[in-house]
Amino acid sequence: MNRILKLIQNEQGKIFIRKSTWIMYIILAVLIFGNALLTNSFDGLKKDYEGDDWRQVLEEENKELQKESEEFEDFEDYNNSLIAKNNYYLENDIQPAPYTAWTFVQENISLLSIVSLLTIIIAAGIVANEFRWGTIKLLLIRPISRSGILLSKYITVLLFAFYTALFALVLMWIFGAIFFGIGDLNPSIVVQGEDGFKTVSLVANVFTSFGFKLVNLVMMATFAFMISAVFRNSSLAIGIAIFLMMGANSIVAFFADKEWAKYILFAHTDLSQYMDGNFLMLEDNTMGFSIAVLVVYYAIFMLLSWIVFTKRDVAGQ
Amino acid sequence: MSSAAMELVNLKKTIGKKEIIKGLSFSIPKGEVFGFIGPNGAGKTTTIRMMVGLMSITEGDVIIQGNSIKSNFKDAVREVGAIVENPEMYPFLTGWQNLKHYARMMPGVTKERMHEIVKFIGLEKAINEKVGRYSLGMRQRLGIAQALLHNPSVLILDEPTNGLDPAGIREIRDHIRKLAKEENVAIIISSHLLSEIEQMCDRIGVIKNGEIIKIQDVGEETDKEEVIHHIEVTPMDKAMKILNETFQLESVELDGNLSFRCKKEQVPEIIKRLVENECQIYQVNVAKGTLEDQFFELIGENTIE
Repeated sequence: MNRILKLIQNEQGKIFIRKSTWIMYIILAVLIFGNALLTNSFDGLKKDYEGDDWRQVLEEENKELQKESEEFEDFEDYNNSLIAKNNYYLENDIQPAPYTAWTFVQENISLLSIVSLLTIIIAAGIVANEFRWGTIKLLLIRPISRSGILLSKYITVLLFAFYTALFALVLMWIFGAIFFGIGDLNPSIVVQGEDGFKTVSLVANVFTSFGFKLVNLVMMATFAFMISAVFRNSSLAIGIAIFLMMGANSIVAFFADKEWAKYILFAHTDLSQYMDGNFLMLEDNTMGFSIAVLVVYYAIFMLLSWIVFTKRDVAGQ
Repeated sequence: MSSAAMELVNLKKTIGKKEIIKGLSFSIPKGEVFGFIGPNGAGKTTTIRMMVGLMSITEGDVIIQGNSIKSNFKDAVREVGAIVENPEMYPFLTGWQNLKHYARMMPGVTKERMHEIVKFIGLEKAINEKVGRYSLGMRQRLGIAQALLHNPSVLILDEPTNGLDPAGIREIRDHIRKLAKEENVAIIISSHLLSEIEQMCDRIGVIKNGEIIKIQDVGEETDKEEVIHHIEVTPMDKAMKILNETFQLESVELDGNLSFRCKKEQVPEIIKRLVENECQIYQVNVAKGTLEDQFFELIGENTIE
């Protein structure tokens, strides 16, 4: 056990001594800051609910949305859902929560896909780079099994994914707090559930989304790690993983009418589709089935990585 | 058996249908420096990769200090320090960080040991520089340092003189002799250049097309083998005639010397006969690089089958 910890220490060291890793963190921070800045300058409206005249504000907003729908028909569906939501506030006499740090985090949770990107880069390189540098030979002639080496690398990738996601989350909250204030400790928001609107805790909503994003993160990281271990080529691993990540929705949509579409990994990686107010990737999806598909894919990725890495000869370049 | 630090038992490697290594068997006792010579593509690196478990063994086994690399990898490899092909290190780490990285992977490597090794290999000045800025010679030294960290009983060095200048080669040679004599380490050195490692080795094994074709002690008396001798003698014509008629030896004039091939045991008789016939002998030399000649004879053309 102690040995594995030391191996993980080695791997972490190799990641963080390189400047490229720090540059990735800086880019992440800049993106989050930029989003906060943009939100602040364009969405100033949102603070208007705070006064006693919030009902009036909502009604005016509805009128504007209506007018916009008439001008641009494309917006109609989206605007109608916003109007319905506003009406729910009015009918149930709920004052909309002000825009705060938590709201900012909730609206920008998709920024975590940048974390996926960074994790893919790390996961893709962690095995393949050792082959590229030639250091794999010196790594494998130690009194440690190949499984041990691979396990330490995999754990390192998961750790990286986890604390980078946490870093992004905390940073989002901090920038959110700076620009929009902290607000209530536990504000509520209204979301569309299966049968109409309902009120849920914003903080709980944020952490549920975060948890589901982590599942996605782990799957993509494991996929890139597998390509890295099997093909020993980091560019290939980065390329395929990012392509699939970016194209995931289109791939699923493209094959949606096929019988086997439900077995496509990317129809299931985003578990937040089962949260209230979100759309299902495929109509028949259920949470249980999605988890089953994820587990099967995960097992295949792990098995392939392990078998190839531990069995294959380490020959010349 | 008990004194053999490393033993190869009918070691074979087949890739696809092609037999790359065709049954190598030899053993290396503690304290011996074994030169592993062969042309490029003869199977040196493949053999070394099997010795340290980087490649699977098709048939046979490698036994290190009584442990099989196949069935008892951890205990066997614990006794081995190696550089396989080039001494590749993490370029973004300093020499010291590289050593520390490998020290963490092995039990019982202390900081004192690391300092000791750095001093031994003469890298004190550069140890805190990034390896990316090292010359090949410095990386070669660092490679040897990482291989020695855990006090192995077998040291495997693949082409250790690559990229070293003559002074560097002499230094490495001294280190190797010292390790073998003082620490009783068995050392395997591979090279395709016999001349560079001839002087460091106790024994040399020549490999060609996956087979050991000859194992020879370096200091061995070569009484029975014909080697080239140069004799500075006057008059040359007369000496040439005597050699031809009395000993049936073909001789040629070369740089003012008479050169011919003969067995060592013939030399006294030849000199005696020449002197009796009033030839003036100024000096007799045995051609240097005799092993090298044999080596080329053995491997013939640098062909890969």
